[in-house]
Amino acid sequence: MSVAIKATFWVVSFGTLGYALFKLVKPNDELLKQFDEGSKFTDARRVSHQTVDVLKEAAKPDSDLKRLSRRDAQRLEKLQKAHKAREEVDASNENEDYFSGSFKIKSEYIEDLLMQVPTLELNVLPSHFDSIKREVNELQKYVVTSSFFLKEFNMRKYLGIVQNLQTKCYELEERYVPRKKFGFSKKKIPKSHTEKQGSLDENDSARKTDNKWDEKLFGFDSQKDKVLVLENDDLFQRDVALRNLTNCTVGLKGVMGTLHLTNLENCVVLSGPVTSSVFMEKCINCKIVTACQQLRMHSSSNCDIYLHVTSKGIVEDCTAICTAPYNLYYEDLEKHFNMSGLDRNSNNWDRLDDFNWLAPDIPSPNWSVLNAELRNKSWDEWWSRIPS
Amino acid sequence: MGFLTILKKLRQKEKEMRILMLGLDNAGKTTILKRFNGEPIDTISPTLGFNIKTLEHRGYKLNIWDVGGQKSLRSYWKNYFESTDGVAWVVDSADARRLWDCARELHSLLREERLAGATLLVLANKSDLPGALTLQEIREALDLDSIKTHHWRIVRCSAVTGENLLEGMDWMLDDIASRIFTLD
Repeated sequence: MSVAIKATFWVVSFGTLGYALFKLVKPNDELLKQFDEGSKFTDARRVSHQTVDVLKEAAKPDSDLKRLSRRDAQRLEKLQKAHKAREEVDASNENEDYFSGSFKIKSEYIEDLLMQVPTLELNVLPSHFDSIKREVNELQKYVVTSSFFLKEFNMRKYLGIVQNLQTKCYELEERYVPRKKFGFSKKKIPKSHTEKQGSLDENDSARKTDNKWDEKLFGFDSQKDKVLVLENDDLFQRDVALRNLTNCTVGLKGVMGTLHLTNLENCVVLSGPVTSSVFMEKCINCKIVTACQQLRMHSSSNCDIYLHVTSKGIVEDCTAICTAPYNLYYEDLEKHFNMSGLDRNSNNWDRLDDFNWLAPDIPSPNWSVLNAELRNKSWDEWWSRIPS
Repeated sequence: MGFLTILKKLRQKEKEMRILMLGLDNAGKTTILKRFNGEPIDTISPTLGFNIKTLEHRGYKLNIWDVGGQKSLRSYWKNYFESTDGVAWVVDSADARRLWDCARELHSLLREERLAGATLLVLANKSDLPGALTLQEIREALDLDSIKTHHWRIVRCSAVTGENLLEGMDWMLDDIASRIFTLD
């Protein structure tokens, strides 16, 4: 309604304004006609004069006009050639497959050069290293100039490889062609001494802050060759931490809030349901049986995870991680699952995200599903057994 | 008519705020975001990348960016700093072990030039958990009192119960608004 009113208002007001203007400054038709006549005649004459001039000019040999047209033709020809050349090069070498292929060839070539180092004579080594460095530089340039069609993740990967080659080259050079030591040897000693002290202090303060929170921690710390068990009465909805364990079996028969596993080696952890998340850090050669909402694994390797995870698990800086479905059983497990609120029917044990592997089309090499035959079928005997 | 709509749009643009949500992994950033937006919070996975939500609150349009806190993603945080009005730093109050890490990341964040002038809201999340640290302990561990470059406040909250979330956000909105919007 209001739109219609506004519209009519504008139409009417603009209409009146326009009509008033037209009335007020009505142009004189007679005068306009006179102007038209005059200009028509002069225009025609001017044009004809110009044409004659141009023709005369063109008739002269070596005239500006001829030269210009010749140049124009040359320019066009050049452009066409360049265009053709560009089409021939085309984009076939600007895709990732081509790039990864040629990158591989080049990096392998550099590796070969590096391999030759120990077999070469001392006097040719400096020039050999120079050529390696040149190759590495070129490779780096190649990656950088290809950045516009590489994905960021791949770009990082390739640059990482180049970086590796570079450090390898420098290490070898250091070993085989040691440079003359350059020293402020006298000054160096006290300086490094103070530095050491400084870093010690830092460690101390870090340890202090650690200690400060240690009283709040609940769980097991620094144990070896033991079987450790906690029941639900102690565990219920708490933040449980297992730290610095070697060769231990840990049974956690209860519902926990969060579970932290730090620095475990050759351990078996049998855990009931965890309401929120499980954290693993620096675990090596472990078997972990756990149920949780989220799993986060950092810097671990060679671990088998028998997992029930309702949302998703992730790995970061991990290698050789195997997953299998949760298959723990103890008497009150069903009851504990109900208490934890975890959904027994949604389990994403076989879908971990690897934060170091962002390529969606290729599966991460850092984790895999554990072969069904290799899985441990029952954990009953493990409640009281130390891992060998 | 067209002129009026353009004016209106311009004014809306003025009322927009960009808020960046950062913190260590497992702090509960995504949970807080989903809680604000009224979405279910029981199926949240660790964030691989980021989430953006646009909300209307008290007449302001909030663009909230929730960026994953995993160690390998922290180097990407800087890509989100541009024209940020407020930073919500989320802390897991129950995770005493990593408070040291948390403090270090926070202070390196505050040195960032592109975040100069941004309002800082520290959300001490998961305060409903039995092992949660007190507000004073977190404040000391994060060394918040040494922050002189930003307006900051720490709020005890819980994404699961929703406690104090709105209060914290309201303070941040007021602080940003008093800084960037002239009086209407």
